[in-house]
Amino acid sequence: MRPDAPRGTAAMGASQTRNEHKYHDLADKSGFSLEQIENLYKRFQQLSDNEETISREQLDSIPSLANNPIKKQIVEAFFDKRNQHHNEVGSCGEIGFEQFLMVMSHFRPPSLKTTEEEKETMRKVKLRFLFNMHDTDNDGIITLVEYRKVVEELLSKSGNIEQEAAKAIADAAMLEVASTNVPHMAPDDFYEGITFEHFEQILKGLEMESRMHIRFLDVDTPTLRCGKSTS
Amino acid sequence: MNTEPRVMRFPYCPHGALHGGSLRLHRRTVVRTGLLYTQAKGLLDTLGKVEMEDFGAFVLWALKIWLYLVISLIMIPAMFGFSLGISETYMTILVKTLEWATLKIQKGHADEQLEASASNGLIQREDGSMEKELEELRRSRPKPPVGGDFTLSDCFYFTRRGIESIVEDEVTQRFTSEELVSWNLLTRSHKDFEYISLKLTLDNLGLHWPHLVGHRNICSWITSKLEVTTNYNNPNDSHIPSNFFSYGDCYLLMCASLRMCVFRMKFWLSELVHVMCYRICARGLSATIHYHNRENKPKKGGICVANHTSPIDVVILCNDGCYAMVHGGLMGVLQRAMVRSCPHVWFERAEMKDRHLVTKRLQDHVNDKTKLPILIFPEGTCVNNTSVMMFKKGSFEIGATIYPVAIKYDPKFGDAFWNSSKYSMVSYLLRMMTSWALVCNVWDGGLKRAKVKESFKEEQQKQYSSMVVGEDSSSNSD
Repeated sequence: MRPDAPRGTAAMGASQTRNEHKYHDLADKSGFSLEQIENLYKRFQQLSDNEETISREQLDSIPSLANNPIKKQIVEAFFDKRNQHHNEVGSCGEIGFEQFLMVMSHFRPPSLKTTEEEKETMRKVKLRFLFNMHDTDNDGIITLVEYRKVVEELLSKSGNIEQEAAKAIADAAMLEVASTNVPHMAPDDFYEGITFEHFEQILKGLEMESRMHIRFLDVDTPTLRCGKSTS
Repeated sequence: MNTEPRVMRFPYCPHGALHGGSLRLHRRTVVRTGLLYTQAKGLLDTLGKVEMEDFGAFVLWALKIWLYLVISLIMIPAMFGFSLGISETYMTILVKTLEWATLKIQKGHADEQLEASASNGLIQREDGSMEKELEELRRSRPKPPVGGDFTLSDCFYFTRRGIESIVEDEVTQRFTSEELVSWNLLTRSHKDFEYISLKLTLDNLGLHWPHLVGHRNICSWITSKLEVTTNYNNPNDSHIPSNFFSYGDCYLLMCASLRMCVFRMKFWLSELVHVMCYRICARGLSATIHYHNRENKPKKGGICVANHTSPIDVVILCNDGCYAMVHGGLMGVLQRAMVRSCPHVWFERAEMKDRHLVTKRLQDHVNDKTKLPILIFPEGTCVNNTSVMMFKKGSFEIGATIYPVAIKYDPKFGDAFWNSSKYSMVSYLLRMMTSWALVCNVWDGGLKRAKVKESFKEEQQKQYSSMVVGEDSSSNSD
């Protein structure tokens, strides 16, 4: 069975105008440009085999994602309703293009026109995204159990570190966080977990704007425009 | 009484056609050639007195001269594999024009930001390694006194890489045409083509026309006339389909010639004719092929594996030597003729599914040392020539000597990638024939034996865990 080159480009032609209206909506909501939305739509169609929705299995089957230690959390983040900004909780079975785009919008870099306020909001949104990734039971706190799980995923799968060692590392890291955030904790106090505010505190020094974004290129921007030179 | 052999008439050759006769030179043909020559000479003499009615005769004479020129300058060198240097000159002129044009365009838009590197994708990837990025992420906080150095910010790196993989991965990148660093003046390779200046169009035409009209079509026209024993009767063919037919005609020509040959010479002659015909086809596509490392050329009884970009790969490889190919069933006449002339490997459609049968048949072919090397494309599909897809392992299980060959097309002159979901075979061939030229390099590789590397999958995690634990031990020693 010969694998054919991925399709999807041919379908765009006829329904161009109808798509444009839809895209304007999406552009406003997500902040991407129209070209970027088109490119992402093509990618969506490739991933979904030209269906309307993507399932977990389809995202799981991306070969370059297989190397990633936190693959499960990343895939889960796409199906998490909290990332859709609709104040819903739970997770979906499948996602459509709009949901796909909304999750991608968390990784949009700030443009030159973003004000300081907007940058602050963007930062909060990105942090919230990461927090949701770790806080799987959605109680607003990253507990020790959840934290341990993250560390295990990252470290112990390679077989280099046993589970016990990974657990020890996780405990130590958690202790460090606790001591930073609750400085006068008595030895018997039980540290619940990392709340969102603590989370923000930990990552305060980090430049989210430069670390957590993906620069989407405008592929169709002509690098060479010929003939009608206005200069 | 008409003793002439069967003649094909063409609409623009009213005075009787050239003979679609056999290879043996008729005395009549010789006489006729002489007559035509004197005719031409006479026309030249009377050129000064030409009137409007003689214009047709003049055109005819010009066509004939052109024809003879084409035969001597294109066909004969093509058949015997030497070059008169015309194509090379054409290429040099073309390259210089493209460079000049690019400079001109760039000058006009010096203030716009030009992407220096042709990125083939949707996103811009950071070049930093994992260590570097994680170092930067951790810079903002002091090292902990005890315990491993792990922090939530480590997840950033992996999250970002994960999202990047979802947006784009290496596999899909290989199925779109390669983007050029500088535009090669073909509208089809410019994604956002808006407006072409008239000047550029005329430049295009000026360079392009002799190639398009002269080279390919006349060449294919000639080839179609060489065929002898076919039952084709196509007097009114247009140029381009005749190029398709000429491919089949070459085969039949070869088969016909083989009928008259002594059995011992059969293979040698068949190879020779094979290569000649493929060379004509290659010239028909105005292909310039550079061969490197010819000492590693595939030998008999081996398997040649190559990367696959377009169906023309076969023509390109066979210009240099003869290969046996693996075929599913073809049309009756062609198949029977081919079987007689050259031992290709044939399969029925149903047989292709049976792996053992396929393997066995290939093994039989390979073990017979007099048989030609089999040509296999292990990628299984056409890829866009920027990278190589994972090989299917079937061809390597046979156990014969493998000769790897690499084919690289020069993208400046035209995009050779066949995107089978976008273009059909016919429109693809049309595109091939109307691009500037087909320049490709073929490297014959020698197979080296090397140790298999560790699986990359575990490497990343090992690296990361050593980062965490390694620092743990160093901080513990404080």
